[in-house]
Parts: sequence; structure tokens; C-alpha cells
Amino acid sequence: MSREAPPEEEAPGGEGGGERQGEGGCYLALCARPVHFEKANPVNCVFFDEANKQVFAVRSGGATGVVVKGLEDKNPISFRMEDKGEVKCIKFSLGNKILAVQRTLKNVDFLNFIPDSPQLEYTQECKTKNASILGFCWTSSTEIVFITDQGIEFYQVLPEKRSLKLLKNQSINVNWYMYCPESSVILLSTTVLGNVLQPFYFKSGTMSKLSKFEIELPAAPKSSKLSLSERDIAMATIYGQLYVLFLRHHSRTSNSTGAEVVLYHLPREGSCKKTHILKLNRTGKFALNVVDNLVVVHHQDTETSVIFDIKLKGEFDGTTTIHQFVLPPRSIQPYQIPVAGPASVTSQSPVPCKLYSSSWIVFQPDIIISASEGYLWNLQVKLEPVVNLLPDKGKLMDFLLQRRECKMVILSVCSQMLSEPGRGSLSVIATVFDKLNHEYKKYLEAEQSYTMVVEAGQSRNNPPLKRPVRTQAVIDQSDMYTHVLSVFTEKKEAPHKFTIAVLMEYIRSLNQFQIAVQHYLYELVIKTLVQHNLFYMLHQFLQYHVLSDSKPLACLLLSLESIYPPAHQLSLDMLKRLSTANDEIVEVLLSKHQVLAALRFIRGIGGHDSISARKFLDAAKQADDDMLFYTIFRFFEQRNQRLRGNPSFTPGEHCEEHVTFFKQVFGEQALMKPTTF
Amino acid sequence: MAADVHKKKGWEVPNGSLAPGDGQHAERAESPTPGLAQGTEPGAGQEGAMFVHTRSYEDLTSPEDGGVAARSPEERQGEPAEPTSMEQISKDFSELSTQLTGMALDLEEEMRQNKEGKLEPSPQAARRDSVLSGKEEEDVTMDAWRMHRKHVFVLSEAGKPVYSRYGSEEALSSTMGVMMALVSFLEAEKNAIRSIHADGYKVVFVRRSPLVLVAVARTRQSEQEIAHELLYIYYQILSLLTWTQLNHIFQQKQNYDLRRLLAGSERITDNLLDLMAHDPSFLMGAVRCLPLASSVRDAVSTSLQQAKAKSLVFSILLSGNQLVSLVRKKDQFLHPIDLHLLFNLISSSSSFREGEAWTPICLPKFNSSGFFHAHISYLEQEMDLCLLLVSTDREDFFTVSDCKRRFQERLRRRGVYHALQEALRTPFYSVAQVGIPDLRHFIYKSKSSGLFTSPEIEAPYVREEEKERLLGLYQYLHSRAHNSSRPLKNIYFTGPRENLLAWVTSAFELYICYSPLGTKAGAISAVNKLMKWIRKEEDRLFILTPQTY
Amino acid sequence: MAAAAAAGQEKQLAPILLSFFIYNPKLGPKEGEEEKKILFYHPNEVEKNEKIRNVGLCEAIVQFTRTFSPTKPAKSLHTQKNRQFFHEPEENFWMVMVVRNPIIEKHKDGKPVYEYQEEELLDKVYSSVLQQCYSMYKLFNGTFLKAMEDGGVKALKERLEKFFHRYLQTLHLQSCDLLDVFCGISFFPLDKMTYLKIQSFINRMEESLNIVKYTAFLYNDQLIWSGLEQDDMRILYKYLTTSLFPRHMEPELAGRDSPIRAEMPGNLQHYGRFLTGPLNLNDPEAKCRFPKIFVNTDDTYEELHLIVYKAMSAAVCFMIDASIPPTLEFCRKLDSIVGPQLTVLASDICEQYNINKRISGAEKEPQFKFIYFNHMNLAEKSTIHMRKTPSVSLASVHPDLMKILGDINSDFSRVDEDEEIIVKAMSDYWVVGKKSDQRELYVILNQKNANLIEVNEEVKKLCATQFNNIFFLD
Repeated sequence: MSREAPPEEEAPGGEGGGERQGEGGCYLALCARPVHFEKANPVNCVFFDEANKQVFAVRSGGATGVVVKGLEDKNPISFRMEDKGEVKCIKFSLGNKILAVQRTLKNVDFLNFIPDSPQLEYTQECKTKNASILGFCWTSSTEIVFITDQGIEFYQVLPEKRSLKLLKNQSINVNWYMYCPESSVILLSTTVLGNVLQPFYFKSGTMSKLSKFEIELPAAPKSSKLSLSERDIAMATIYGQLYVLFLRHHSRTSNSTGAEVVLYHLPREGSCKKTHILKLNRTGKFALNVVDNLVVVHHQDTETSVIFDIKLKGEFDGTTTIHQFVLPPRSIQPYQIPVAGPASVTSQSPVPCKLYSSSWIVFQPDIIISASEGYLWNLQVKLEPVVNLLPDKGKLMDFLLQRRECKMVILSVCSQMLSEPGRGSLSVIATVFDKLNHEYKKYLEAEQSYTMVVEAGQSRNNPPLKRPVRTQAVIDQSDMYTHVLSVFTEKKEAPHKFTIAVLMEYIRSLNQFQIAVQHYLYELVIKTLVQHNLFYMLHQFLQYHVLSDSKPLACLLLSLESIYPPAHQLSLDMLKRLSTANDEIVEVLLSKHQVLAALRFIRGIGGHDSISARKFLDAAKQADDDMLFYTIFRFFEQRNQRLRGNPSFTPGEHCEEHVTFFKQVFGEQALMKPTTF
Repeated sequence: MAADVHKKKGWEVPNGSLAPGDGQHAERAESPTPGLAQGTEPGAGQEGAMFVHTRSYEDLTSPEDGGVAARSPEERQGEPAEPTSMEQISKDFSELSTQLTGMALDLEEEMRQNKEGKLEPSPQAARRDSVLSGKEEEDVTMDAWRMHRKHVFVLSEAGKPVYSRYGSEEALSSTMGVMMALVSFLEAEKNAIRSIHADGYKVVFVRRSPLVLVAVARTRQSEQEIAHELLYIYYQILSLLTWTQLNHIFQQKQNYDLRRLLAGSERITDNLLDLMAHDPSFLMGAVRCLPLASSVRDAVSTSLQQAKAKSLVFSILLSGNQLVSLVRKKDQFLHPIDLHLLFNLISSSSSFREGEAWTPICLPKFNSSGFFHAHISYLEQEMDLCLLLVSTDREDFFTVSDCKRRFQERLRRRGVYHALQEALRTPFYSVAQVGIPDLRHFIYKSKSSGLFTSPEIEAPYVREEEKERLLGLYQYLHSRAHNSSRPLKNIYFTGPRENLLAWVTSAFELYICYSPLGTKAGAISAVNKLMKWIRKEEDRLFILTPQTY
Repeated sequence: MAAAAAAGQEKQLAPILLSFFIYNPKLGPKEGEEEKKILFYHPNEVEKNEKIRNVGLCEAIVQFTRTFSPTKPAKSLHTQKNRQFFHEPEENFWMVMVVRNPIIEKHKDGKPVYEYQEEELLDKVYSSVLQQCYSMYKLFNGTFLKAMEDGGVKALKERLEKFFHRYLQTLHLQSCDLLDVFCGISFFPLDKMTYLKIQSFINRMEESLNIVKYTAFLYNDQLIWSGLEQDDMRILYKYLTTSLFPRHMEPELAGRDSPIRAEMPGNLQHYGRFLTGPLNLNDPEAKCRFPKIFVNTDDTYEELHLIVYKAMSAAVCFMIDASIPPTLEFCRKLDSIVGPQLTVLASDICEQYNINKRISGAEKEPQFKFIYFNHMNLAEKSTIHMRKTPSVSLASVHPDLMKILGDINSDFSRVDEDEEIIVKAMSDYWVVGKKSDQRELYVILNQKNANLIEVNEEVKKLCATQFNNIFFLD
């Protein structure tokens, strides 16, 4: 597919479109806000720059008027330049600093777009004798690569000096080339057959040659003519790795007819290996896109597209993995072209856009251009429809978890599998939970090791690793709680047995991945059990520490005592285990008038010299048990004796009323006499 | 502590060899009394004891053992128990009863004594004084009646009521009928009913032909202890009738209504029951002495000893329920139970304060088949000092009365009156004297002398029910320690209101009560300290040199 | 009893069951109709009038005590020769158990002399035994009243005869002790993760075998999960551990590592087998009869089939509504679903358990002899008792010490406040009883020379090692 839209390729529009809506569930769509540009015609040439994702509309005749529109930038750049002949190729350097225009086979002209810098054009001729420039591409704001039929030349542009400096060049026979801006790798097709591909990698002033590799052609080439067309090759980054995608029209393996897409993994260093084969099971005209790490293959004849996810399981033959498409073929969602032109024009209803039209040109990773209508879209994957197209919940999760915008969909899938109709079986639910938590755990671990390194201090400043990004695939407990579980337990449609089973299943899964369970989940469990008076169940759970200890949980238990007395014991045990809750224990005991127990406990942990006498005397008095009061009073008298050599209380302790009370119950003489021994 | 007791195989060590209170030794051992052979424990009498001492209840249980006790010829001739003299018995008895009933009630007196807290005749006893047949008022179908802590019933083998602590015998005759039925049902099967157990109470049966005694108790006491108390009641009845006469009566008349004979004596039985609920003497089977400087006590004893007469067997001076001095005929031993019965007789009436009483009395443990004659009088109007002279001769009133005179005279000459008065001002000592802050109360019993000592019950045990509860706890420990099939050496009890410790050796028994916040280590050092203290005070707290005439 | 060993020719005769009867006074109120009151009487050979007389005595005792406490009548009667225990589990239905006191047989000049030991039997122990008799009857037969409603006195008498005729023979009165008072449940110690696995196993089973109403899960005869309410589980547990499991022990031991299904070809993938119900699933004639049990008798009164299925040391009880008779197909299904999973789970548990044991170092003999019981969850733990053999659990300490434990226990039950009792027996053994908020701990220490403080330290140590995860008042 040429970067240029040859006008003669216009197709008879109208027919076709989305007949296949009937089947519903279109999971591919064109973006709502396309870039609109003046459609290609004899006087208006349209160019697309993959690096900046810009469309150039160049209208010639006299001075050349140029309008540049990008997906990102709202307001188009437009300028004129004097007509020096037909423009072959035109591109801005990164950041629209410098414009490069190729008009001849020999040289490229430059024009600065840097404010207050020389505005006059300047030219660079390709170094190699009688070589002709096939094209060029910017690798940075001031670095440019010329690709000639005899090699490549790597220049640095010096805008002030209005001149270029050759950084490096390499001579090699080139049939055609391909540039992947994301990875700034240029791929050159060499040899007669053209199936030997030579990648180059560019990075800040340096050019490195990666190991070349050969594309195995479908059938042994009959003649020694160029037999690998650039139409059938694409480069894209999938899951962070650079791949060369080869659309092989006739599968070598005789058994399966139909085309396939072969993926070659192109690592930064090391040799390129064939890793995946995507089965298309059909023939005809195809186009490739890569969206959200999915390989999308459009099939013009059937006007449908299929998607492949190389992370999903496929059949592995030892060297390569063979994938079938994830979902049944579907057409791109029908698209209405927004009514253009001023409102004054009779408001005609929006025109349905002709999908899969032959005038479409597809660019990597996700660009679709209709030169004839003057639109540029990016292709998008819609996840909602997928949910119903993938019955296997496990596979569905694997698929969704890899997608950028997956969170809400995943959560809705969870809620849906917990509620009628089509409630999932516990084992399915378990698998789903496990998949989610696997992802969740991975993130937590990354986080942890990151913070550990940070705490260790960047002192020995080896490559400062960056904080792990939290993708939408990380579904944590609060997500599950707020969007799924609490809602699910609220609407009590499911039998409580099931409700509890689900909660336990989730807790089980978290534990399996050693993820600390948040107490609000436990509270949910307890609430549910209490609602159905399943106290014995609750008791057993606590007995086996399934609901891990925490102060909030202990307090919740205390609050249950009135309806379930054993809760008191359970919560005390919990506080004891926490070992940081001694104060709470004392409070609990005092609240139950177990003043002695409280005092013995404190003494056990050696805190009895610092406690407030008044507090305990109050408690003893409330207990309304004279014997108890006497004991406590005596205890503190003795403490006073021990600490101050005198049994009487100091005014600071505010125990006057208690002293009075003591006298009136047991008489003056019962007061402890100051002893000396 | 206990460990040492064990290691040194305590009581096998020859007497004296481990002199208690030996400081240097005290350092080595946790206890100053690591192994006390009987007779060397604090409070042990020097020339043997004045009592036959009671190791276990079995001593009490065979009715004949009264007879076993050695008897001097005097007694034999003085013994009035010829079967013929039925009217004789009733005569003796009417005398007794006139004395009992005829005593004018001196309410003021009672009040005064209550204030001084010397002896507290139960409201029961007081009521009996005022209205002879007060019991009839109580409705035996009311919860109030059911909820009494301890019912006691005595009935004859014919099922006839003899005594009921609460509620009139008439109203209860059917119930007693059932009791008798149950007893005989099991006897018919060559079996014997012992007790019935239910939530919160026990019914205990004691069979002493020709009587059946039954208690319904809501206390923590063990079956054995309740049985023990019933036996006291049995002996109380014997002390009024003698065993010989009791049997004789029923041989004569199967369904004789014994109440006719006992009329008016119920107050004594009532008082005994109340006493047992307050005074540890009965539980301990021992006697408590009035704390007294040994010099004073010796003077008193000698005076008693010198004021003797041919017919005198025992001369006893007592105050409240504490023994001041006791002098006995050579090789005549008084059983603590008999002494307790005498104490009870005296404390059950204020009227002995009026002049001199001369009353027949049987000391069942000494000789259950005969009457002695007791001369009972208070030395001074205002002084709680009661003199009891036990004679074998019914006709000897004047001789004995003269002994009293001579005794008082000697006291005066020796000038110990004042000292006595002093001592009586504080008849009980305070536990504070021991100087252990956590210590609240204790009971220490010397087995060889049959004497025990314990301080006044003070705060926090101020309310009556608290005092009873404390005794209840001692009863509980005692019953566990003396369980007939699983006796224990040590008991350490940590409770919600107090901690207690019991330590039983062949030589002594110690029960201490202290703060529930006291530690075990604290308890042990307390025990050691206490034992030292008792040893230090023993000649004040005990009678170490019992006298004979 | 200790003496028995010493004096050579003395002989100790253990306590025995003299008689056991059930009556209802309302059934024969009139004179001469007394026999009608009697619903069950053991031994049956006893002559009619004696039966009537003995029943009469019990009635009299109960009536008599009502005069002192209308609501709390007699629970036991002590006599020289025996003890009688009374229990009124349902209104007007009285159960009475008469146990003969142990006897020491001496020989005075040739003639044997019998000495009844009146203080040896502990009321609480035998009252509990009596109550368990009822609970066990009720578990398999429902209440007395229900039987009357169903088929009148006749039906009730038949059921009683049928049940107690066999059950009474399993009472081993001489070996009853504190554990019979607690009638507790021993729980299997397990780490959280494995426990959760079991949870989800149970949930999945209940999902796929949807007629299952309740499930219980045991390992090594110890409970891990009960879907039944506590009290029902308590008695079911007793049945399983003292009757059902022991009966199946032998084949179990035989085929621990080789599938015990030689007779069943094609089913060697797992060790699962039915302890109740069909033995051979391939035999089309196989009978699918399962014991019926009755639970929640005081409210919903449910009647269930009890399916006990076991793989290696893991046993699962599935309880299904009695209205749905389990078919052979169902059993096959159950076997095919549960068998493999349970086998895996069982070995998981075993593995985990060994790991935990190694960590906690709990392999070696416990240096403490103790009994622990928690009234809240009926959890029971004893290092004094050896593994239960059919219906007997043998204590490894002297009976007298066990009785001291019993005494302490009954002292505790008088008040519900926390208490601690430490005693030193004549044998110089120390016995410690601790009661802390519904929990009871009894320790026997044979450091005879230890003193109180050392004993106290020992107990502290025990609590620290065995019970550090619970709040035990000190």
C-alpha cells in the first residue's frame, strides 16, 4: 500500500457497508473525530507522514499551498511555498521544526519553521553518485535519513547554518524501505527477490545496523524478479516488542489453504525470529492494523475484520505459535460521515460511510485513510461487544486483562456472572477471581520492589527504575468491593449459601496470591452471615483465622455480643493476638466490670504502676460490689505505699470521693496505715 | 513451701529436731515449719493435750464410743441411768426445762451484748424466748421457707417429727413421713440412703437409731460436712437425754413424741445451728483460746486447779466462745465436741448471768449414757467470764459452788482480775498485727492440742453474709482437703473476691485468705511470715500447759 | 483404688450399670396401672413388681425434692451401694440410670467382704453420660413426643427397645471421665489457606450435588467444618468418632496406600468410599440405605439422610433431606465428583499438616498432660487421652487424678466467674484447674518436688506454647 493515494484507485462507493450488523457485536470502530482534509484530486495531492501522523494537502499551480492536519493538533498549519515542481514527499521534522520536501530524485529541500531563524530554503543532494532518493524520514527534530536505491545516508540538519552534516551512510541495494517511527527502525528490502530485510536502528545521532533476516516466501519464486512487495509487510510494536508482520497469501503448508500473517520478532539485539502465525482461513485482499496490541486483519471481500491476540494461548509447534482469531469476523461498526459544509446547505441526513472501500489506505499502527473522501481515522477496539462473543469466561478475562480500557468491562463481567440469568458456576467464578488477582499481585510486587529500591536510596545511582504504571487491568479489592461484591450482597436475589461461597472464593483467591485482605471484605462476610444468623459458621471462620485479625474487626465483633455472646470472647482473643491492643483489652474488660481481670492483665504486662487509680476505682464503684471496691482500693493504697512510701492518695489522683466511700463502707480503721518495711 | 514439706518428709523428723522459728533454718527453707511432727507445731500442748483430738469424722460416728471412754468409779455410782427411773429422767428434765424456759428474758441484756458483739443469739433464739411457739407462723409452702440456707429435721423411726429448724413440726409431719419412707425403702433393700443432689441444694440423711436426721442445705458444704453438723445436733439431743435413755424411750414406745421431752430445748439446737454457721470451731473440730498473756493464763489455771473438789471432773473458764482455761481430772479427756456443746449451752441463753445454775448434762463423747452436773455462773456481772464446773455428783451443788468462791478469791489474791479485764476488752486480735498487707484472715489449727487460732473477721468482711461466705469458703477448702477418698495436701484457690490457700500436714492445718490480687509468690512468703508470727505468739494464743487437778 | 494394687488379695470391682429405665408418670396415673408408666426397662428380666417399685422410688425422690425446689427436682440419689441419676429430657419423660459403686472385695478369714466405695463416682460425669444417651437416641429417632405422635406408646416403646438394647452395651461406665462431661469436639489444626481450599471444595460440592442440605468435613477424626448447628454437630461428632469411624478403621489401615477398591475395577483414580450406604457401586443391586438423623428438633425439626464418604483420612458427611431418597445414580455421581477431588484434598491437608508440625515442632510427645475445653465452640483438646477406640477413651493418668479433675470441674461450674485452683494430691502430683471466660484448662504435673511457684511457671509456659493465640486470664 503506497503512502500516497493514487486517484485512479477510486472505487465505486455506495454498495457494501455494514450488511453484517445483523450479527451485531461489532468490536471495531472508526474514531468519532476523524481528520477531515480536502480529498485527493489532480490538483490536490495528499501525503501522510506516519511519524507525526500528519496529512499534507498540497495544492499546486502557481505557488504551492500546503495544509497540514494532524490527529493531535487541533488547528491546521497552512503555508505556501513557491512551486518548484511536483512534490514527491513532504514531511515535518518531529515537533514541526523543519519541513523537508522532495521534488527530484537527487535532492531534498529544507525550510526552517523555527521562529526567527533563516526562512530561506536550502537543499541537500544525496552523496552517493547517480543514486536516486526513494524517500526520507525524520528520526528526530533535526536528524533525517535519506533512502536511496543504493543505500542510506544519515544527516544532521543545522537550521541556522541552513546546511546538513552527514553523520553516517551505508551503501546497499534497496528495493523499497519502510519506517517505523515508534521504534525508529528502518527496514530495507534488499536482494533481487527483495525478501532479505535489513533493519537499521537510529538513536540520537547514531545509526546501528541490526542483523538482517529473510522472509520465507510462500512458493519458490519462479523468476528472479522482486517477489516480496512492501504491501505485504508491516512493522508494529506489539506488547512492547517490535514485530515485522508478513501477510502470506498462500500458506506454504499444503493442508491449510487461506492466507496467514507471519510475525517476525525483531529484537534490539540478536537475530530476528519467526514467532507467531495468525491463521486467516481465507484469501483475498487484506489490510493490517495493530490496535491495543491486537493484530487486526481487514478482509475486503467479506468486508469484515478479525483480531488476534498473541498473548492468548495458541498451538505451539516448537518454534512458532499458531493463533486462530479470537472472535468471529465482524465488520467495522457502521459509520456516518458527519454532514460537512455550512449549515446553510440543505440539512441532508448524514451519509453512511462506505467501509472497506478500495480507496482506503491503512497505515500502522491504527490509521485508516480514505483519500477519496478526505478522512483520516484511527481504528478502535470496543470491548463491550466482546463480552458476549467470548462465552469462555476464563479466555474472556485473559483477553480483557490485556486491553487498555478494560476495567469497567471486567467489573461488569464479574457482576454479570454473579447474577441471574446465566450465573456462573463457582469454579468459573474462582478462575476469574484468580486471573484478576494474578494481575493484581503482579502490580503489587512491582510496587513493592520499587519502593524497596527507593527506600534503599538511589545512592548507588544505577539506572533509576521508574514507578510501575498501574494499568486498568489492576482490579484491586476496593474495585471489586464497590462495583461488584457489595452490590451483589446488597440485592439479596442469590441464595445466601451462594453469596457466602462467592465471598469466601474471593478471599480464598486473594490468600492464594498472598494478598492482604482488606477488612471491609471481612465485614461484608460478617454482615452477610449475621443477616442469616449463621453465627456458628462465623465462629468457625474466626476459629481458623480465615478473617484475619484487626482492631476494626474486633470492634465489629464486640458490637455483635448482644446477639451472639461468644463474639465477646472472639474479639478479646483477636485483640490479644494483635498484641498492640492492650489498651483496648483493658477498656473491654472494664466495660464488663471485670476490673480484677483488667488489673491482673495490666500487671501481667507490667503496666500497673502507671495506670490511673481513679479510672479503676470508678469502674469498681460502678460494678457495685463492695468486695471488689475494697480489693481495688487496697491495691492502689499499696501501690502508693510502694511508690511514695505512703498509702494515701495524692490530690492529683482525684480519688477523694472514693476514699470517702471506702470509709463509709468499711470504716476509718480499714484504711491502710503507713507501714515501714 | 509444700515442696519442702515433702522433701524433708516432714512429720517423720523426730520432735523438736527442727525447732520452729529457728532463724538460720528459716533462711534455708521456704517455710519456718518445714516439717512439724505432731506436738511440735505452733500451739502444740506440752504435756499432751486436754482433748481427745478428732482426726476424722469416723471418731464421732459410732454411737457406742461414748461408752468406750474410760470411767472413774465416781461416775459409775453417780450414773443415774437405771432404766426404771423413767420419771427420774423426766424429773431431771423438767428441772432442766424449767431452768431453760423459766429464765426471764432480759432484753436489755441481749441488746447490750449485741452491741458489744460478744455473743449473738440468733434472732431465732430471741424469737423463741419471746413467743414459745414462734415457728408455727412460718408457712412451709412459701418460697421464703424453701429458700432458707439450711433446713434441719429430726424425726423418729416412726416418722414422728422431733425437731425442725424452720416451720412447725406439725406442718411438716407429712414431709418427714416421706423422709422416713425413703430411708426405710432403701434399708429394706439392705442399702442405705445417703443424700439427694439437685441444682443448688443437697438433702443429706444421717441415721442414728432411733433417730433420723435430715438436712436440706444450699451451702457449698460437702455432704460429709453437713452430715457432721447433723451429728452435732444428734449429740446435742443426747446431751439432754443421754443415749441410753433415748433408746430406752423408743424401746418402750415406738411412736413416742420426743418433743414432749425436748420442749423448750429447741432454742439450744437453733443456737447450735446458728453458731455452726458463724464459728469455725465446729468445722475445725477444735477450740479457740482467748488471747492472754501466758503469766495471766497460768495464774488463772493454777487458781482453777486449786479450787478443786472430789466430784469435779472438769473446771472450765471461758469467755464468749473462747477458752480461757481448762483443768481436768488426770487422764480424763474432754472431747472438743463436748466442749462445743457446753459453749453452745451457755451462749444459747443470757440467763446464766443471773446467779448460779445447776443443771444435769450429758457429755456424749465422754460418756453418752450418763449425766454430769454442771455448775454454770458468771464471775462478775459486767464481765464476760463464765465459769463451768462439771461434777459427777448431783447432790454436790454446794461443794461445787464453794469451789467457785475459792477460785474467785484466789484470782483476787493473785491480782489477775485486772489483767483478765484488760484481755477481755480485746477478745479478738486483728490480722493487721501479723503485718502482711494482702492477708485478710486465717485459721491455724494445731492438731496435737486440738486448739486453733484465727483473728477477728474484719473489713472487707463487714456484712453478715460476707462473714458467712468466708466461712463457706473455708468449709469448701476443708472439705476438699479432707475428702475421704481423694484428700489433698495443698489447695491454692484464686477466686473473684479473694484468694485462699490451704495447707494440711499431719501436724497442723493452715487456711489463709488474702487479696485476689495477691500473687502466688506473695502467698507463700505470707505463709512463712505467718507461721513465724504464730510461733512467736503461741503462748498468748494457745494453752501450752494444760493443767490437771 | 490405689490400695487395691497394694494389698495383694484385695480385688477392685469396677462400677457397673445396674439398671436403666425410662418412664412417664402421666401414662399410668391410676393405682394398679403403674406398669403402663414404664416405657423401657433394662435389664428386662427384672420382675415386674420390682420394676414398678424402682420407678416408684424415683418418682418419690423427685416429688420429695419438689417440696424444697418445685422447679429444680433431684438429679441424683446417693446410697451406700449405688447412685441413681435422673434426667427429664422432655416434659414428664424421665430417664434413670443406676450405677453400682465400685467395690473392694476383701477376704476376712476366708469369707469375702465387700466394701462399697461411695465417693468414687462423680455425679457430673454420669449425669452427662445419661444426657448423652438421650441426645444419641434423639439424633437417630427424634424426640419421644414425636414418636408418640407418630405411633403412640407402642411405637415409642419399640424405638426405645431397638435403640437402647444396642446402645447400652456401648457404655463403658468404668472409663467415663471429664471428657464425657464436656462431650466436646476436637478440631483439626489447619493453616488458613488449606482451610479455604476445603471451604471452596465444600461449596462446590454443595453446588453440584444440589440436594445436599448440610455438609461436615473431618480429618483424622477431627472436625474442620460443620454446616450443622453446634449442638447437633456435637452429638453427630460423638457418633462418628466413637462408633462409625472406629468400625471402619481396619480396612482403612489395611489399604491406606493402595486403593481399597480392589473389588471395584475401573475406579482406581481415587481412594473415595462410602462409610454409610452402598459398598459396591458397580453392583446394580447395591442398596442405597443411609442412616436417618434428626436435627434442629426444637424448631424446624429436620429429618435427613446421613451420607458419610471418606478418602484416606478425610471424611465428608453429606446430609440430604429425608424426603429425597438417594438413588444409586446419585451415589455414583457423588463418588465420581467427590472421590477424585477429596483424594487430592486429603493429601494436600496431610502435606500441609506435616509442614506445620515440623514448623511448630509439635511432633514430639507433649510434655504437658492437659485437658482444654471451650464452652463457646465446644473445642476440646486432651493430651491425657489416647486415641479413642470404639466408644472408649483411655486416660493415661491414674483414675484418682482424673477424679480430682472432675472435682475441680464441678467446683468451677458452681459460679460462672473466673477461678483457678491448684492442688497437690497425696500422691504429690500437682493438679491445676483454670477457668477463664468460658474456657477450662486442666493440667497434671508430675514434678513432685516442684513448689507452687514452679508449678505456676509451668502452667504459664504451657499457655504460652499451646494457647498464645487466645485471651487466657492469668
